[in-house]
Amino acid sequence: MLNLIGIELYKILKKPRTYIGFAAIAIIVLVVELSFYADGKQYLDFVLQSLRQHFVIQGEILNGSLMCFVILQMLIVQMPLLVALVAGDLISGEASTGTVRMLLSKPYTRSQIFFAKYVAGSVYTFALILWLGALALGIGIALFGTGDLLVLKSDELVVIKAEDVWWRFSAALLMAFVSLSVVTSFSLMLSCFSDNSITPIVATMSVIIIFTIIGALEIPMLEKFKSLLFTTHMVIWRNFFDNPLPMRQIVSSVVILLGHIVLFLIIAHRHFVRKDILN
Amino acid sequence: MRKLLAVICSLFAALFTIKAQTPQTYISLVMNRFDKVKDYAADIKINFNLPGVNLTPVAGSVFYKAPDKFRVKTKGVVFLPKQSPHFALSLLRDSTAYTAVSSGSEIIAGVPCIIVNVIPNAETDLILGKLWIDPSRGLILKSQLTTRSGGTVLIDNYFGPLWTHALPDRIVFTVDMARFKVPKALAVDINTRTSKPQSTPGTGTIELQFSNYRMNQHLSDKVFTEE
Repeated sequence: MLNLIGIELYKILKKPRTYIGFAAIAIIVLVVELSFYADGKQYLDFVLQSLRQHFVIQGEILNGSLMCFVILQMLIVQMPLLVALVAGDLISGEASTGTVRMLLSKPYTRSQIFFAKYVAGSVYTFALILWLGALALGIGIALFGTGDLLVLKSDELVVIKAEDVWWRFSAALLMAFVSLSVVTSFSLMLSCFSDNSITPIVATMSVIIIFTIIGALEIPMLEKFKSLLFTTHMVIWRNFFDNPLPMRQIVSSVVILLGHIVLFLIIAHRHFVRKDILN
Repeated sequence: MRKLLAVICSLFAALFTIKAQTPQTYISLVMNRFDKVKDYAADIKINFNLPGVNLTPVAGSVFYKAPDKFRVKTKGVVFLPKQSPHFALSLLRDSTAYTAVSSGSEIIAGVPCIIVNVIPNAETDLILGKLWIDPSRGLILKSQLTTRSGGTVLIDNYFGPLWTHALPDRIVFTVDMARFKVPKALAVDINTRTSKPQSTPGTGTIELQFSNYRMNQHLSDKVFTEE
């Protein structure tokens, strides 16, 4: 099985599209960090002007932790596209190039091949998250130093102590990985149903965009429906920056996200093992 | 009933004393007490209760040097009132810099107080100061300062063993402020559920708890300038 996962990872590494995500993240992180290095203080002054009317804010607000948080917020919306680019191609890519028949003739069961592909896709997702976190925090600390984290939410400002920042970022990145694993499994599922890689990638993004728009609409009729959408729970990583931690909300979102992953994998696996390979 | 009678009697006693003395006399009483403090260092714990701001209590050190140097040293990010706790006292030091007007009396935490309004003679950051002075001890128990830079702030002083030097154990700053809110586009708050009340006006408080006062130790000016 490990050998099979290794082969799948090698295939992912050999595709140029794999590096698009890493390059895009690097560019965005650099642009955001350098922009804040130039104008970050004015931006924060603008955001905090209502508080500065009454209080003196003592301490360095603009620091590496804030930069990492800002970048995570900005990029987490785009990350599904980068994940879908690779995960959506895992099976449909082989189908379009005609190598899936050869792959299935190897002495491995279809289930083994399917799960090797899923694990390889998850490793790519994890690497992408790790790259984002390391780059955002690393460059942030190099340019701005460390300090307490000022979490800017639309309805609240939370100050997280510097000693609490590391475990919160680790937990948030792990949570972001769980969230993006839903996208990985969803793309893989669509990939099983398609013979070209464009369809699952575009379909994945379309579904995420539609769900995100529905989630953003504040219409009472949609409230119950919203809690069933996986995109609603994909932002749960932010709850690790709440004080106190809303554990009930985090656990319920994790359960819902894991439920989606299992559901998509069952559907995908069921279809893949029974699929009639015609090309 | 006995307690009520005692309060009424002490209030009358205070009122008779008030009639006998000018507002300036009460201010002098306060200043004489505080003038004994040339400088001090103390430990401080700051508690925050600001609408829309979630900040855990912070501990640190506080330094003061007459006439108006004041600094709070803490680790990390902290929100502090714009005025130092001794802001009013700094102005009151020069009796020619302001006009004091008596404007009645009130009981603050069971203590009969006289109310003195202070209006600066020259253009300063302070527009109007309202002081609740305990005439028996010569302490400002409460003050309401209207400033150009920070609006109106209410300061409640709670004294402990060092009341003889007009050094409080606890100071509560109360500020009228709207709930802190960032536009969604700036906060990049997409797809989040807002369960908290939206921009409603309210009051924010910052409580400073002082302990372990070290007085008149000839503090260096560097304490107030170094990083």
